[in-house]
Amino acid sequence: MISASFRYETPSSAAEAAGLLNAGAQVMGGGTWVVPALNHGVRQPKVIIDLRRAGLGGIERDGDTVRVGATCTYADVLTSSLVATELPLLKTMALGVTGGRQILNQGTIGGSVAAARPSSDAPAVVVALGGRVVVLGPDGGRIVDADTFFVGPERTVLGSNEIVVALEFSSARGLHVGYSKLKHGASSWPIVTAAAVLRDADAAGGPAVAVTLGGIAGAPLSVDLGDCLVDGQVEENRARTAIAEQVDLIEAPWSDVIASAEYRRAVAPVVGVRAVRMAAGSTAGDPA
Amino acid sequence: MSLEADLARPAQPASAYVGDRQRKHNGNSFLTGEVMYTADLTLPNLAHVAILRSPHAHAHVRRMDTRAAESMPGVVGVLTGAQAAAISDPIPFLLDPAGLGGKNAPVRCLAGDEVVYAGQPVAAVLADTPADAAAAARAIDVDYEVLPAVLDIKTALAADAALVYPDWGDNVMLAGAFGPDDFETQAATADHVLEGELRIQRSTPSPMETRAYIADWDQRRSALTWYGTTQNPHPQRFVLAKALRIPEHSIRVIAPPAGGAFGLKMHGHPEETLVAVLSRQFGRPVKWVESRAECLLQGGREQLQRFRVAYDNDGRVRAFYDEFTADHGAMAAGAGWGMAFVGANSFPSGYDIQHCRVEYKIVVTNKPPSVGMKPFGKDSAVVVLERAMDLVAEATGLDPAEVRRRNFVAADLFPYTAASGMVLDSGSYHSVLENALTMIDYDRRRTDQQVARLAGRAIGIGIGFEMLAEGADVPASFVTAYDSATVRVDPSGHVTVLTGATSPGGGNDTAFAQIVADRVGVGPADVEVVQGDTALCPYGTGNLSSRGLVVGGGAVALAADDIGEKLRAIAAGMLQVGRGEIELRDGFATASGDPSKALPLAVVANAAYTLGYVFAPDIEPALESTRAFKMPNVRQVPDDQGRYSMYTTFSNAVYVSVIELCTETGVVEVIDHAIVHDCGTQVNPLFVEGQVRGGVVMGIGAAIGETIVYDSTGHLSSDSFKQYLLRRAIDLPSLAVGHEVTPSPFSNLGAKGVGESGYAAAEASLMGAVNDALNPLGARVDDFPLSAERLLRSIQAARS
Repeated sequence: MISASFRYETPSSAAEAAGLLNAGAQVMGGGTWVVPALNHGVRQPKVIIDLRRAGLGGIERDGDTVRVGATCTYADVLTSSLVATELPLLKTMALGVTGGRQILNQGTIGGSVAAARPSSDAPAVVVALGGRVVVLGPDGGRIVDADTFFVGPERTVLGSNEIVVALEFSSARGLHVGYSKLKHGASSWPIVTAAAVLRDADAAGGPAVAVTLGGIAGAPLSVDLGDCLVDGQVEENRARTAIAEQVDLIEAPWSDVIASAEYRRAVAPVVGVRAVRMAAGSTAGDPA
Repeated sequence: MSLEADLARPAQPASAYVGDRQRKHNGNSFLTGEVMYTADLTLPNLAHVAILRSPHAHAHVRRMDTRAAESMPGVVGVLTGAQAAAISDPIPFLLDPAGLGGKNAPVRCLAGDEVVYAGQPVAAVLADTPADAAAAARAIDVDYEVLPAVLDIKTALAADAALVYPDWGDNVMLAGAFGPDDFETQAATADHVLEGELRIQRSTPSPMETRAYIADWDQRRSALTWYGTTQNPHPQRFVLAKALRIPEHSIRVIAPPAGGAFGLKMHGHPEETLVAVLSRQFGRPVKWVESRAECLLQGGREQLQRFRVAYDNDGRVRAFYDEFTADHGAMAAGAGWGMAFVGANSFPSGYDIQHCRVEYKIVVTNKPPSVGMKPFGKDSAVVVLERAMDLVAEATGLDPAEVRRRNFVAADLFPYTAASGMVLDSGSYHSVLENALTMIDYDRRRTDQQVARLAGRAIGIGIGFEMLAEGADVPASFVTAYDSATVRVDPSGHVTVLTGATSPGGGNDTAFAQIVADRVGVGPADVEVVQGDTALCPYGTGNLSSRGLVVGGGAVALAADDIGEKLRAIAAGMLQVGRGEIELRDGFATASGDPSKALPLAVVANAAYTLGYVFAPDIEPALESTRAFKMPNVRQVPDDQGRYSMYTTFSNAVYVSVIELCTETGVVEVIDHAIVHDCGTQVNPLFVEGQVRGGVVMGIGAAIGETIVYDSTGHLSSDSFKQYLLRRAIDLPSLAVGHEVTPSPFSNLGAKGVGESGYAAAEASLMGAVNDALNPLGARVDDFPLSAERLLRSIQAARS
């Protein structure tokens, strides 16, 4: 039960929203993180800025780029034919989000990215797809590559007067993708997630394979598995070792009440290879 | 079966409704959200409570300043522990350990100068809205002197341990023993002795409905009406009377329909008294609704078990020794400590081991107090015995099922007096086991397991046998093996049942309607059941110890038979036949020899009130009977070995699980399971299955993943369902439920309890199944929960 009063703003444009921002304000999308935090008294912001009427929904194509509005819900992602063909990994991720219909209909992709929780699905997938985060502040906009956007647990490069307005992706149509995550029961947030992207030898840019892990460090961790390709196939033992080596280098490994850092470190190679295996076994353009 | 038992049970009527899988008569109101739970209730001028809870596990309260809080918007008043102590008494214990030679410490509705756990209520704010109250609670300024805390058994028992209660001299609430102290002598003549240990983590019952209480003090009459999620309205009234220093008859307790209880809602919680004190003090009706985080403070079952088993090569156990240490948390006025006592008393489960010794110790620590939780400590005995049987199987090379067969109490040994003094009433354990093994296709599973192992898959099969003592009658307490009921038929022929037994939501009210329907001849739809109101219902002790249906239903049956007798007398007079020829069925009183002679029951009922002199002048008028049913098989005077027998029915079950363990991640998946359960005569098999399924899921959860976690300073870390991971519907496969019926020779319905069933068997089975899967890998676990992290570590340790 929310017991501290606050001012509730519903800006009708991104610019208006940016103008309302200050250090004491809390931005919300679907509220699936913010409202429970208010209920538990973890946060007591003076102002809540609800972005849902600011025109930040919508999924559009712009040439080779797919733009997903920040307040698109997981349900929007699931029903979008554009996502299904161009960004199937995003759809797969949305399908498995913990929390069922209520969360799917309410939680937003932009909100998940801005919240930057290690126990979320979206951040690692956005990084795996080479996404770009479109940011707006009172001084104007900027675009940040997803792999530099996330700094640590619940920490991004967003300034206190900036909001995420959209995510941009290059089409992943020609790629093989795989997604795997480890949960301890249906009610659990993911412990470790792995998003694998594999490019064929005959695709533009040549063969490439990488897996991005969530829940293992404070921010998503990408591991290049190019050296594990043997005759165009990913050699799984090498991949496991490569992932383990990268995981060992993490300075601030993530842990929480449901799983320790030691456990996450032990299972990361397993989950990573599962995602890679799925990618290797799929047809380019198929969902994971 | 003894003559005594035969006399206890009157002739059973032909059952039209008892035994039927009737749906809840009021089920629609639950499904459509019409039911008014306690938190749904409102009263004029209602005020709301927020409780300030100690942030420290152990501290001295130096100073408390409530002035800022008192002047905040909407605030009606603030109550501190010192103020509460001036106007109320400590809460009477549901079970007092001092009665057994142990120690106690007074528990009040608000802490005084010492706080002994993080979360302990220290002050209360009353305000116009819950939000106003919560905001003001944050403004109370408390100056604590933090003291060293003990947070686990080892620390609490260390020689230089900080004391939770300084005047105790140590941190032991109670210690004792059951059974003959002859393990060493017996072990000397056995072929082998093995040792084992088990640690069980703290868990919590998680009812869908958290606790809620409303107190309405009437200044003019000096009377209290108290609404709340209590399992035991009449005892609750006694507790409130004592704490508030007012006569019991000036209190009315009303327990609205409950959304699950599991023992959590037995009386003794500080907030029960707190709302009443606040209402009387501030002259407003007062409401408190527990948050989920507060509800997760309630928990228990944390324990350490060390056992020794003396056995022969043929798998027969000759002697058993167990050392049982329980971490109770801080003292409480509720039933929590009783679980260790009952758990110790429940050894050796349903096995024929006369040389069984259990030494128990209940330790206090600076954590929230244990609450009574199903199956109230009996899981301890089950889990330890099942582990022991599996270890004996491993050591002897026998199949785990065979070891159990060789050690069960055989069907012809009942009533069987166990080493602890418990007298087990009846049972068909061998039959239950065989049926469960058949249901799971045990032999084929073992073959499949061999094949799977060759393919590198770790499949495990676990057998969990539970024997559950139920229906306790504890001397000098309100835990009773009797209950009362009034059955009343009005002149229009409608039946009302008023019962002292309450329902946690499991449907015993519908069952009561079925019992009445059979004996009075109406349909269940013509029966209204009233529960949970001390102003209306005859004395009872609510629902606990799985006795609501057994003794509550037993009383209903007696009262309904009285009514039936009167109806038969009146109808016989009206139809001019003998009283013995009247059958009551389908809404009619019919002459058995001549079906054309029949009267609607409504007509007979009316005649009972208006034509009694004409048709049955010898019958006491008014169709109403209040009866109490008491289980006869209680012994509260010690026998020649100093033993008591407090439990009155003994249900049992065998649950078998088949699991797959992922050796890369430690994750356990239940791929199939089945249970055969015996609770004697079943009034409503649908409700029996509901209880069994629920218990099994709770047991699986506690076995695999539900853990209450405290940080190093004694704060609850698992304060939501995102950290405390209950099993969801998609986590588990469908459970096949089979039934055996071995009636109780002592209850007039032949029924035994089922309210605590399933949990212990499931928990035990999973420990067995996981170890069965780990065995070929050279790994082993002895701790609950069987978390992925623990299992993976065990596998990795075995590899290196």
